[in-house]
This record gives sequence, structure tokens and C-alpha cells, in this order.
Amino acid sequence: MGQCRQCLPGALAIAGMAVVFLPVLPGLLPLAQGLELAVWRGLLADAQTLVALRVTVISSVVSTLLALLLALLLTMALYPGPRWPALQRRLPALLAMPHAAFAIGAFFLLAPSGWLARWLAPLAGWDVPPDWQTVRDPYGLSLGLLLAVKEAIFLLWMLAAVLQEGALQRQMTLARSLGYGRWQVWWLCLLPQVLPRLGWPLLAVLAYGVSVVDVALILGPGSPPSLAVLAWRWLADPELALQARGAAASWLLLLVFLLLCGCGLLLWRLLRAAWRQPHGRRWAGASWQPRWLAWPLLGFCYLLALALLLWSLAGPWFFPAALPQSWTLAGWQQLDTAPLFTSLGLGLASAGIGLALVLLWLECGPPALSRWLYLPLILPALPLAAGQYHALLMAGLAGSGFGVVWSHLLWVVPYMLLTLYKPYLEFDTRMITLARSLGLSHWQRCWRIKWPLLLRPILAALAIGFAVSIAQYLPTLFAGGGRFATVTTEAVALSSGGNRRVLAVQAMLQLVLPMLMFALATLLGQWAGRHRQGWR
Amino acid sequence: MLELHNAALRLGDAPLFSDLSFAVAAGEVLTLMGPSGCGKSSLLAWLLGALPPAFSATGELWLGGQRVDGLPIEARQIGILFQDDLLFPHLSVLQNLLLAMPPGPAAQRRERAGQLLAEVGLAGLAERDPATLSGGQRARAGLLRALLAEPRALLLDEPFSKLDMALRGPYRQFVFAQLAARGIPAVLVTHDPGDVPPGGRVLQLADYQESAHV
Repeated sequence: MGQCRQCLPGALAIAGMAVVFLPVLPGLLPLAQGLELAVWRGLLADAQTLVALRVTVISSVVSTLLALLLALLLTMALYPGPRWPALQRRLPALLAMPHAAFAIGAFFLLAPSGWLARWLAPLAGWDVPPDWQTVRDPYGLSLGLLLAVKEAIFLLWMLAAVLQEGALQRQMTLARSLGYGRWQVWWLCLLPQVLPRLGWPLLAVLAYGVSVVDVALILGPGSPPSLAVLAWRWLADPELALQARGAAASWLLLLVFLLLCGCGLLLWRLLRAAWRQPHGRRWAGASWQPRWLAWPLLGFCYLLALALLLWSLAGPWFFPAALPQSWTLAGWQQLDTAPLFTSLGLGLASAGIGLALVLLWLECGPPALSRWLYLPLILPALPLAAGQYHALLMAGLAGSGFGVVWSHLLWVVPYMLLTLYKPYLEFDTRMITLARSLGLSHWQRCWRIKWPLLLRPILAALAIGFAVSIAQYLPTLFAGGGRFATVTTEAVALSSGGNRRVLAVQAMLQLVLPMLMFALATLLGQWAGRHRQGWR
Repeated sequence: MLELHNAALRLGDAPLFSDLSFAVAAGEVLTLMGPSGCGKSSLLAWLLGALPPAFSATGELWLGGQRVDGLPIEARQIGILFQDDLLFPHLSVLQNLLLAMPPGPAAQRRERAGQLLAEVGLAGLAERDPATLSGGQRARAGLLRALLAEPRALLLDEPFSKLDMALRGPYRQFVFAQLAARGIPAVLVTHDPGDVPPGGRVLQLADYQESAHV
């Protein structure tokens, strides 16, 4: 980074990022109408608002805290040990699973008429689905619980990066030699060091939980829905007064997010005070290590993917039966392929443009500004997507393919940067010095030495950028003006209807597209290195 | 008294050494030497109870008349000093020591820790962040922490190798004096013959292996 002496590429890198990020700011101006007192009165007078607020607070707090708890519990049980690397290898595939597909699969598994209930039916003697609210409960609990499972995978992935450092493992050994069992070592020695490093990922999880719309439509309550869904509906309403109310609700969302961040910080302060005075007591019998703990999490994810596959191939399937009465390919044969190709095109375009922007930035951009590029990941997406829409309206680009790709880039770029930043930083600079001594110019060094050597992280970044684009729901709807049907918007739209087979097919497509891209990236990386043992 | 009976260590299928026995008396330091890969660090890891899963070991480890090789690390009461001091970076120097000390009345523990810090020339550094200490100060605090856990034996895994030459000699003497004063048996792994305490026994692990094969 920063090796580029010419001004032009550096300016180009900044300009590229500015085009992605800055137009959102004037786009936020129309949301200022949501700051007027009269609008707020209307918002608070609406009977739905407070209930929706309760759903949002419950689901986002449950998802964030429980995701943290799950991820930490699994890590404490498996690290250090042989099962930890095994779990790490399974994470990317689970991470690539889009939220909407995960939610639909979870719905198929857990709904009162879902697969699990069908297994239990013979034992419980059910002839009709039980009258339980296992999903879409009015408090948003099931929404929070299932988001927690999905986000726990993300946090585990983040933890894996932190725990790669050898020092932590040696500290664990040392603390155990002082007489502490592994759980107490985690509590006293590792947690205080690991938790601060999880701060940003936790903010991202919270921001996601507060502003998620697609998963809330699938697993959240219907009337009233969560605050983000409510705000989005108001913003999309043709009536101007309701649009203003939607803008006010977006601000309320941001306020809730900031307040919850504050609570999180307070909780962390309290926790830190508890570590201040080591009392020296050793807990007896604290070396219990439930190595099987990863299986419920992994099993749940595999089962819900299986449930999607099953339903996409199911003929008639009446309630208590554990398997469909007959099988059919009709769902796949009658598939409307237009959303598939739209998704593919948007994903490839966003990932390709994103990669060019990120590589240019890493090579020539000012590293000090990099941290600002992560901002979209830790802010609620709803106001940003609305801001993008207004910016596109001003530019006359709303509803264009260009506009949709541009809107995806705001999330694609930070995730790609996150993936490539570390490999780029750790690149052996002696290679570059050597290449310079051989007389290679800056771009020759990139093309012939650096980028080929970084091929694997670059391919991984492409796959991640693609997956992020595929999963976008709000930006696609806003920027596309409802004219772009992707596998994600189709899946979410179908989730409120009755045809489970068609829904399962769309969710499967949404699941399979990013998986294929990850598989392709892995295969390409292996193929490229087939004759080079030192480069794998 | 630390006793090792008929120890054998394998890496996968390859034997590193076999039929190794020794006894270390209270206050004695036994030095293990040998080329890289001879298994001396792995032996230390096994004594501690932290043998990596790629290795397998047989043999008996006795501490003060009790067999401990089946116990987990935290139940063995065997301390370790690594190359790095590994003071916990989120705790102050004093908190690092308090963590190691057995439980008791808070005021008494603090007083004792402060007293020991003063004895080893670290008076006034109790509330400091370990990262702001010099290498020699950190090394002394690290040893103090290991000793405060009241171990029945101490393992030394090249603990002097990262210190610069000027600090090495005094720190070495300091460690040996503390061990002798407390009557703790110790096993030292090192590459540097200069680390061997005066008159101390040295076990050459590679030679041992060869002689065992003859």
C-alpha cells in the first residue's frame, strides 16, 4: 500500500470510492423531513410504532447477545483442540448461505407444519399442525433466535482470525499450569483480550439485527412487523405524509441502534470491572469440554438446507407425513429463470467492479481512510438504502441496472476490502523489492508478481462480493424501483404466499448461487497452483 | 522430588527417544540439551501435560510421591517459564501476580505480592502495564508469577534465550537462587551451554537416544 508515487492512480482510487460512498450523503437529505416535530407526533401516535419498536429491540438484542454467547461457548469448548480447525473449515460454506435462504429453510424446519413437527407428530399424536407460534411470534423472539444462529457463524469466523495468534494458546497453557481449568482460563485470561477485538463485528451484527427487512418478513411477526419493515413500507408508500413518517422511523431506528450500542458499552465496562481483582480461587472440576457442541449448530444448518431441497422436489405432502407422498421435478421445470440471470448479472458486475475498486484502493489509496470504508457494515442499512434511492432519483438513474449495481457496491466493497486487507498487508514486501531490482514497473509488479501470488485471497474476495450482492434485498428494491426481480426478492415475495414448492426452488437458487461461486473460487485456486508446491 | 520412569515419546510412528528415566531433587536444576527435533521441548510439554496431539508418550511421572502423568495441566502443580514472559496483557503487573497466588484475604495477598516485588527489585511497578516494563523486569515478573502459584516443580523452556547478553547472567542467577531457596525441582531445556547452572547435571537427549540404541 502507498507504494504508488504517481498522483493519478491515487486520485483515481479515491474518486472510485467517492462515487460509491459519497452520493449517499445528499440522498440522506430528504430523510430530514423525518426530523420535524409534527411528523414524530404522527409516528408516536401510530398504534403500530411502539409494538414494532418492541419487536425490533427484542429481536436485535436477542440476536446479538445470543450470537455472541453461542460463538463464545463453541469456541471455549473447541479451542484449542483438533475440532476447532475442523469447525473453521466448515464456516465459509455456512457464511455463504444468504440470510433469506437461511430464514426460509428455518421456517420449513420449525414452523408448526414444518419438518420437525412432522417428525414429532407420531409421538405427540398430532393430526393437524400444533397451535404453536414457533415462528412469526408477536414479540420477535423466533426472529431473534434464528438471526442469532446465523450471526454466530459470522462471529465464529471473526474469532477464528483472532485465535490464529500463537500467543493466546501459550497463555492458555501457562494459565492452566497456574492451576486454572480451561473454562476459568477463558473467563479470566482469554475473554478480556478477545472481546474487545469482537467489538466491530458485534456492532455489525447489531446493526444488521436492527435494520433487517428480508429475514423479518419471513420469520418476524406480521402486524405490526418490526420497525425496519414498517419504516420501509412507509418510505415506499406513495402518500407523502407516510413517506415522512417512514423517514422519521428511519431516524428512530438509528436512535435505537445508538442506544443499544451505548448499553453494550456499559455492559462491557461492568464486565471489565469484574476482572479487576483476581481472587485466586480455582474452580474445581472446570476442565469439562463438550466437544460435541458444534454438532447442534452444524446439524441445524444442514437440516434446513435439506428441508429446502426436499420441499423443492415434493409433490403433495400432507401434514403428519414425515416425507412427501410423491416427488416431482415440476418446481424446477416450471422455473422462471429471469430472476436467476438478473441475480447472476448483478452479482458478477458488482463483484468485478468491486474488485477493481478495492485493488486500486489497496495499491494506491490512502490507508488512513480505509477505516471509513467499513462504515456501511456497522450502520443500519435501511437509511442508507433509502439515501441511495434519493440520490439515484436526483441523478435520474433510479430503476436502471447501473443504479442497482451501484447500490450493491456500498456493501460489496467493504466486505471485499475486509477479505483482502490482511493478505495484502502481510504480503512479503521483499518480493516487491526484488521485482523492482529486476526493473519491473509498478503495474508490472502488480500484474506479474503481487496479484498472481495473492490469487487465492482475490478469488475468495470475488466470491464474497458475489455472495453479498446476491443477498441484497433492500437496495435491490429501492434502487431498482421494484423493476429488478432477483432470486432474493422473489424468494422473499413468495415467502408470504402458499406455494411452498416454488418458494423452496427460489430459496435453493439463492443458496446455490453463492455456494457455486465459492466452489469455483476454490477449484480455480487449486488448479492455478497445481504445478507449484510452494504456492498453495 | 520429580521422578521420570521409562518415558518414551513418539511423533506419529517415529520414536524420538525411549526408556528415559531421571530424578530431580528439591532445589536441583536438571538441564536437557540436544539438537533441534530431538524431542526435548516435547518432553517438557508432556511433563507439563500439554503434549500436542501429533505426539504420543508412555512412562510415569511422579511428583513428591504422587503419580501425576494422568492429571490435566491444572491439577499437576507444575509451573512453566517460556521464552516470552507471557504476562497477561490485559492485567497490571500486580493483577498478574494476584491471579497466580492461592486465594486468601485480599489485603494480605496484595501485601505479600508487593513485598515480593520489592524483593526482586520491582518495587513501585505493581500498577504498571506489563507492556511498559523492560525485558529484564518482565522476565522477573514472569518468574515471580510462576513461583507465586506455589508449584511443586518448574519447567524452564529456553527462558533466557530472548534476553540480551547483559541481562542474561544476572537473570539466570536470580532464577537458580529462587529455585534453590524454595526447594523446587526444575527441568531446563536450552541450546546454550552457558545456561547450565554451576555443577548442574546435564542430560544430552540425542546421546541418550544413541546410547539406548547400542
